[in-house]
Amino acid sequence: MNSRNDENLKDLFERFLSAEQAESGVEDIQKAEQILREHPAPEPDNMLIANIKAEIAMRLPAKRTNVFMKTAYRVAYAAATILIVSAISLSLFDNGARNGALGPGLQYNSIIPTAVWESDDITTDDADLAIFTIEIEQIEDELRTLQLGESAGNGDSSLSELEMELVAINNDFWKE
Amino acid sequence: MANSDDLARIIIGCKSGYSKCFSQIVDMYASRCYGYFYRLTGNKDLSDELLSELFVKLVEKIASYKGGSFEGWLFRIASNIFHDYLRSKQRQKKLLNVHKEQIESEITEPKQSGNEQIDMLQTQLKRMDTDTRELIMLRFYSQLSFKEIAKMRSEPIGTTLAKLHRGLKKLRELME
Repeated sequence: MNSRNDENLKDLFERFLSAEQAESGVEDIQKAEQILREHPAPEPDNMLIANIKAEIAMRLPAKRTNVFMKTAYRVAYAAATILIVSAISLSLFDNGARNGALGPGLQYNSIIPTAVWESDDITTDDADLAIFTIEIEQIEDELRTLQLGESAGNGDSSLSELEMELVAINNDFWKE
Repeated sequence: MANSDDLARIIIGCKSGYSKCFSQIVDMYASRCYGYFYRLTGNKDLSDELLSELFVKLVEKIASYKGGSFEGWLFRIASNIFHDYLRSKQRQKKLLNVHKEQIESEITEPKQSGNEQIDMLQTQLKRMDTDTRELIMLRFYSQLSFKEIAKMRSEPIGTTLAKLHRGLKKLRELME
């Protein structure tokens, strides 16, 4: 028998029995195992061993194929799951974008009309905005002239007029 | 007997599905496992059958071997196969309405084929109960330590030690 069976039997017995009893116990075990060694069981036939090896060899290709098929199925399932989840996500996102809702409780709305947002020429698409832009530019020019002292008239009154004009524009803008 | 590194390499080969590695395992353990089955059943044909079943199970279960004592793992399968056999016999006998004691006697009183010698050890083993006989054979053929056997049988080491000591002492007395 190998070294594992040579574990310290005496120590083991001494955990449960007295030293004397432990020694006797070890002796009982060793002598009985000696009897077992002296009466060996029959050996398996060579034919039996050959048959077992043949049966193993026969089962292995099937097992390997099964393993391969299992792996292939797993990969296919994973890929299909990813595709389905991606498709559903894209579909939901697209529908959400079309309907103006990205999800429950989340809505968005542009404050600028789509036509204006996508336009390259604001003057033709939104006349009001174009007019306001021109007026603001004029006022900016006049302010710049006043700051530089280039105005010929009364500076204070001009400034007041401009301020009044700005207030009026502002009121008109928010009325729209 | 291969050392632990060789055995580890062989087991890796088995897990990869190499028939040659399984053949090496058969060569290494067939004799001991056959002895175990033969001493428990006393029947050569039945031992042939159980040994074949053991190695078929080995092919099926090798992926579940996660390290530790390979002998322990292998003999646990062998023990399960023997118990399955006992259970199937019991079912058969229940159908025939025959008592359990008769099952035991059939197991321990095998029909010997013509060229088979009835050895004295086998005769004396018949006089012991199945559990003790199995414990003795497990210890002798698996070469496992008491600790490993106790773990396998899910019982305290002291219980295993006491049962085995009693059994071997009785066997020794019967043989002398």
